[in-house]
Amino acid sequence: MADSTKRCLQRIMRLIPSYMLRTTLEKWGRFTVEQQKSIDFTRSKWALTEALLSICEENKFAMKHLTGLEMIYIMDNPNQGMWYVLQLLDPEDDAHSVELMQFKEQFKSHLKELVRHVSIKIKKHTDQAVWIRIAWGDAFSPPNHLKPTYVVHYLQTPSVFVTNLTSKQKPLLSQAMLLSTRHQAIKDANLSGRNLTAIRDLLMRKYQQVFPTKYPSPLAENNQTISNPLIEKEQAEPAANRLHMACKAFGGGALPQLQSAVYKLETKFRDHSNKTMTEREEPFRCVVKFASTNLLESLRHCASSGIASTPVTPLLSCIPLKGRNYFVITDNGPGPSSQTHQPQN
Amino acid sequence: MSLLKPFSRLPGLNSANILLVEREEQFQQSLADVLVEETTFTVNVRLAKSLPLPMENEESRPRIDLVVFIINLTSELSLQSAEASLKSLDPGYFLGKVCFMVTNARSAAAPIERLDVARKLAASLYCPLLFAEDQTPDGVTNATERLLTILKVAAGLVPMATSLYLSNLTRSTVPPDIEQPSFN
Repeated sequence: MADSTKRCLQRIMRLIPSYMLRTTLEKWGRFTVEQQKSIDFTRSKWALTEALLSICEENKFAMKHLTGLEMIYIMDNPNQGMWYVLQLLDPEDDAHSVELMQFKEQFKSHLKELVRHVSIKIKKHTDQAVWIRIAWGDAFSPPNHLKPTYVVHYLQTPSVFVTNLTSKQKPLLSQAMLLSTRHQAIKDANLSGRNLTAIRDLLMRKYQQVFPTKYPSPLAENNQTISNPLIEKEQAEPAANRLHMACKAFGGGALPQLQSAVYKLETKFRDHSNKTMTEREEPFRCVVKFASTNLLESLRHCASSGIASTPVTPLLSCIPLKGRNYFVITDNGPGPSSQTHQPQN
Repeated sequence: MSLLKPFSRLPGLNSANILLVEREEQFQQSLADVLVEETTFTVNVRLAKSLPLPMENEESRPRIDLVVFIINLTSELSLQSAEASLKSLDPGYFLGKVCFMVTNARSAAAPIERLDVARKLAASLYCPLLFAEDQTPDGVTNATERLLTILKVAAGLVPMATSLYLSNLTRSTVPPDIEQPSFN
């Protein structure tokens, strides 16, 4: 087996944790039953790598077989690494009728025109997502399988999720995506996160939405038996209002796991007690970052417990509303349309 | 401004009403769950985030025998919220019907000055200052027992003892060397 293929297998073995190895290999299905049985999964990773290497050599596997294994693992465990979202704009007339075979052929041919040596693998996942694995090379070197880019796209939606894409590769990928999905422009959607399922659910609103209603709790009588009748909350109504407004802004139930929200402020300094800073003409640049294991959950709790004032300020509620977590805030009217937002005070 | 008055209603038979005021609204729930398990008399627990209480509950609210302010020492806002709520309390409550309960006193995130402020506050109002541990069920049970002792007297369920009499024994005092820096 070639050196590069060996290194690729070693990298895959580093990626996959031991407890997931058996199921992933079974899903891959390229080992015969005897070969699968001959592997002792309780040995150390290093010993397992050697065993797999010998079986792969026995079967004369090439790079393309191994990349299939890597892709199966990543498709089932997408919540690693950093995913960024791009948005396709200005669809042409036939953008809504792009279907899978056409997209696959077009994408492969366009990308191969742009980059001489590139290795592309496209698979459709069970939830209709198209997964693309790209190993980039250039005019003089073969594709580098140790740093592949993964792209996830749901056909006929404007979002494209990418991970591991360098700035040099971005314009090439963008061009290929535009031509194969029949759109005219692509831009940064200002949304990123570690959890692919979370950012996808956020964009497609696949979490429980709470709609504004005049009578928030229509069946109040049903809840009486749950809590002890001897315990009474004095301020139950304001608390219920706060909870309803928080859920309206962020959603009810379990929320998609965003890790951070970044606000880049380019506003003038405002503090009446500090004359020297307020007199400056230039904006006071600073960056505010909110970080949490589940940011939307934390923000909703801030609003419902009264730490953040309700109704929820648009600066916070636009995170789920617009599906972004990077904002640039300026004092004056809207600047470039994709990026600015009016501050509240 | 609507003050909470201690004797504006008739007392209930063999029952006591306690009001727990806490900005974070967490410890009060666990305390309430244990308080209502008392069997010798009925304990009615009312929970609030801060005072003044809403006007809508004015008619249905029974006579409050004991008001407990729960202060989390790791949060400055907790202390400020309790101080602001004191203004909505009729002065009649400060004759033994108010109690301060403080949590997280041993936590590293709680500065010692804040505990001194809480101590001075309780001492100036002649109220007891209780320390509680809110993370374990044992801590909650202990805090509940101490509250029940004071509550029984405040509700008049202990013969020969009134809350004013008890407050002479339980009220917090400030040690004379509180201004000196302490050794840690």
